[in-house]
Amino acid sequence: MKPTENIEEFVRLEKPCVTTGGEMDRRTIDDSFAAMDETIRAKKPSAAGVILRSRVARLAAAAVIIVAVGLLMVYRNPPVQPPPRTVGTAKSPAEMLTMISLNIAYRRGGIEAVDEQTSKAFEMLGSQSATVSIHELLAESNGV
Amino acid sequence: MIDEKILVRRFNRGSKDAFRMLYEKYKDDLLGLAITLLRDRSLAEDVVHDVFVSFAGTTGSFHLSGTLKGYLSTCVANAARDRNRSRSRRDVGLDAAEGMHCDSDDPIEHAIDSEKSGRLMQLLGHLPYEQREVVMLHLHQEMRFKEIAEALDISINTVQSRYRYGLEKLRSIMNSMVTK
Repeated sequence: MKPTENIEEFVRLEKPCVTTGGEMDRRTIDDSFAAMDETIRAKKPSAAGVILRSRVARLAAAAVIIVAVGLLMVYRNPPVQPPPRTVGTAKSPAEMLTMISLNIAYRRGGIEAVDEQTSKAFEMLGSQSATVSIHELLAESNGV
Repeated sequence: MIDEKILVRRFNRGSKDAFRMLYEKYKDDLLGLAITLLRDRSLAEDVVHDVFVSFAGTTGSFHLSGTLKGYLSTCVANAARDRNRSRSRRDVGLDAAEGMHCDSDDPIEHAIDSEKSGRLMQLLGHLPYEQREVVMLHLHQEMRFKEIAEALDISINTVQSRYRYGLEKLRSIMNSMVTK
């Protein structure tokens, strides 16, 4: 055995033989318990603290908050539905004003759609001179 | 014997019985360490008291990474160093040995134990504080050099050199005692 090991063994084996006194034990235990009580009182968990302690509860709380915020946003700003658009299928004002075309428009959007379609047809026709020649009238009605 | 980790868990839940069991388990060991470091029983008792009260205050948030013995020993060593710095330099000498109280009921065994403890105290008392601290933490508290270095916030080389110088000094003192 090396001399260093001898010393190590000597110190290791000759541990100081010490015991605490009753007075010290009482003082330390009392003060320690008081410190524990104070810490527990200071750290008394709130309802939020209890919820946030569990991982599942934490996720559930997050989900509830997200849903609540979503509902609030929908309630405050409801999405604006675009009005149903009438699709003009007729190519010329004359076609737009046929019974079949007007019937289709009525089915799609009611009397408003019919009104819109007729307005559009009249717009396409534009302003007409008060006097229309026979030739123009025939050409219009024949669709030529 | 309840496992230490279970006791710590119970302590963290606020169990005073668990704390009392931990106190009973380590109090004598820690007091021995404090007395050896400070060479003053009254100061050593204060240090151990403060360490346990401070430990009790961590209930609910105490996180144990190593052993509790290592943690408490480190706390005692740090607190003892602070006390040692703050107190005025005075030679306590062999008085510390008078503060030793042994458990043994047998008077002969008691006398032998006291003599052995006193002899060790006398020897260690010749070492500078830093060397005594490292020798005690390594040999009595069974802490590794790395743990001591981390606890004392010094390099592992410093710990090892303090330990080596401490042992060399102890050996030379013992040799001189034998030759006398």
